[in-house]
Amino acid sequence: MSSEVVLAVDNLAVEFATWGGSVQAVRDVSFKLHKGTTLAIVGESGCGKSVTVQSLLGLIPMPPGRITAGSARLRGEELLGLGAKALNRYRGKRIGMIFQDAMSALNPTMTIGDQIAETLIVHTGMSAAAARQEVITLLGQVQIPEPERRMRQYPFEFSGGMLQRAMIALSIACQPEVLIADEPTTALDVTIQAQILQLLESLQKSHGLSIILITHDLGVVARMAQEVAVMYAGQIVEQGSVDDIFYRSAHPYTLGLKAAMPGKAAHKAQLQVIPGSPPDLFAPPAGCGFHARCPHVMQLCESNAPPLFGTTHQARCWLHHAAAPVHPLRQQLIASSGS
Amino acid sequence: MLSYIVKRFGMGVLTIWFIATATFVAMHLVPGNPLAQEKAVNPVIRANLEKQYGLDKPVTTQYIIYITNMLHGDFGISYTQENRFVKDIISEHFPVSAELGLLSLFFATLGGVLFGAITALSRNRWPDHLIMVFVILGVSVPNFVFAALGQLLILKLNGWTGTTILPIAGWDGFGSMLMPSLVLGLSTMAYLTRLMRATMLEVAGTDYIRTARAKGLSTTRIFLSHQLRNAIMPVITVLGPAIAIITTGGFVVESVFTIPGLGRYFVQAVQQLDYTVIMGTTVFFGAFLVLMVIVADILYGFVDPRIRVEAGR
Repeated sequence: MSSEVVLAVDNLAVEFATWGGSVQAVRDVSFKLHKGTTLAIVGESGCGKSVTVQSLLGLIPMPPGRITAGSARLRGEELLGLGAKALNRYRGKRIGMIFQDAMSALNPTMTIGDQIAETLIVHTGMSAAAARQEVITLLGQVQIPEPERRMRQYPFEFSGGMLQRAMIALSIACQPEVLIADEPTTALDVTIQAQILQLLESLQKSHGLSIILITHDLGVVARMAQEVAVMYAGQIVEQGSVDDIFYRSAHPYTLGLKAAMPGKAAHKAQLQVIPGSPPDLFAPPAGCGFHARCPHVMQLCESNAPPLFGTTHQARCWLHHAAAPVHPLRQQLIASSGS
Repeated sequence: MLSYIVKRFGMGVLTIWFIATATFVAMHLVPGNPLAQEKAVNPVIRANLEKQYGLDKPVTTQYIIYITNMLHGDFGISYTQENRFVKDIISEHFPVSAELGLLSLFFATLGGVLFGAITALSRNRWPDHLIMVFVILGVSVPNFVFAALGQLLILKLNGWTGTTILPIAGWDGFGSMLMPSLVLGLSTMAYLTRLMRATMLEVAGTDYIRTARAKGLSTTRIFLSHQLRNAIMPVITVLGPAIAIITTGGFVVESVFTIPGLGRYFVQAVQQLDYTVIMGTTVFFGAFLVLMVIVADILYGFVDPRIRVEAGR
């Protein structure tokens, strides 16, 4: 793996002001994205995955959203705190973005071709005619048949899978360094999912893309990612290489997620669930966010927030403290750092 | 697109027939008749008159005559004004009403879209609050009040400058059309402003606007090429019916500014139970409204590609 860091996020915190008080949607999130690799951010709905990546480009509604702390540097250039004009030099040009539901993420009254051409015209100063030619090439790259005809059609004339391809063509139009894919396959059926993932993989190789992939599907993570960050209640609770996460899980929440994954053989058995629900982020618990649902909870966990333990493979759990009782999970971090 | 237009026109003809029939039935249900007077009329004279106007025939026969004549564009002769063809009343006075109506619709649309966009873009800041105060005034104050205020304004303006900048009343040249059409269009403008504001805000929260921002487009470009077109669609839908409100609602404004429009005849005819004039003007206004709704629908098809293709299938 190359160690060249493309995007570094440090101590990011995002709040939303609401009538009921402020929701701390993202709390102290740090990660690094290496060139040509895929970082997967996993977690259940509402854990702050999308807010994390959207806040990097100022795409969360502000107000009520507010970035209260942290920094995000694209090759050393700070993104947070930039005005809309300055941010527009990054949006779409150096960081591309794919959204979950391509049907609602594309303008219903504008042709697919025009929507892709628009970003080319704005960022590269291409003429409209040159942009049209480039759109045909791009649609060909994402394997849309008959690009000349398809580019003149509107989103409602496309199938779901084709729309997501068009969305991908749009996001890579200006050859960005980073591609943020926010649940790109969630709205698609399984065969189309596989095709889209394959397309992303091949584009990553041909364009040298660094991808942040947001998903709640561990199958997608295993297939696509080299690095994984597991988010829970606005925090990263565990991060490491894909092998660390799958084979040496060091956080009880990750274990719960893995257990909840439907296995091949177990289709007759009932699905495992993690009992309880995530904490209220209006008033995040003083201690560990997972303590109320954790099978390994200790008295300490209720009122003391655990830091991240470990170096390359990190977990936010008191079990890894030197003074904690010896627990099988503890061996996992040690095993990772030893390897 | 063509089959869509043909279908819309077919529905339009059916609607007009319904309006004509409903008007006919309603009029014959109203007590009294155009020949009723306070003084007793000699029954012979009365019978003669009824014969001349065809009122002695059974209602069904009258209906058939009425519809057949209408198909030939003949609305008959006025019962109360001697020797005046309804056709002539309409052709003489409708152009004036139409001019007034279309001009006020132009002001209403322009103002509505413009002010609606401004309020949405400056949401919860002072331009928004200021315009919304005027919108509430525009919706709630009846237009005869605005008409009087408008005249007062012209009067003061002319007084201060010492010349006639705008005429106070009458219908002669663009200057005289300006104030009445503004007054007439005011409530529609207020309504459209509110509608435009709501749809602009709705569109601003959609996923495709977020995509447009993620593409790195400037706010102006997002507004012009993504937000406006999607936000304007509901406005186009209400334009057709708005024409009806404006052309028929013009009666008050027409009388305050002494404009020789059709509205006056429309109202007078109802008061005098002038069968032919009522039927003629109602059917004519109805047909005009139907036509305008069709025009709005066709326009809508041009703005929204989804309807265009749906109709082509």
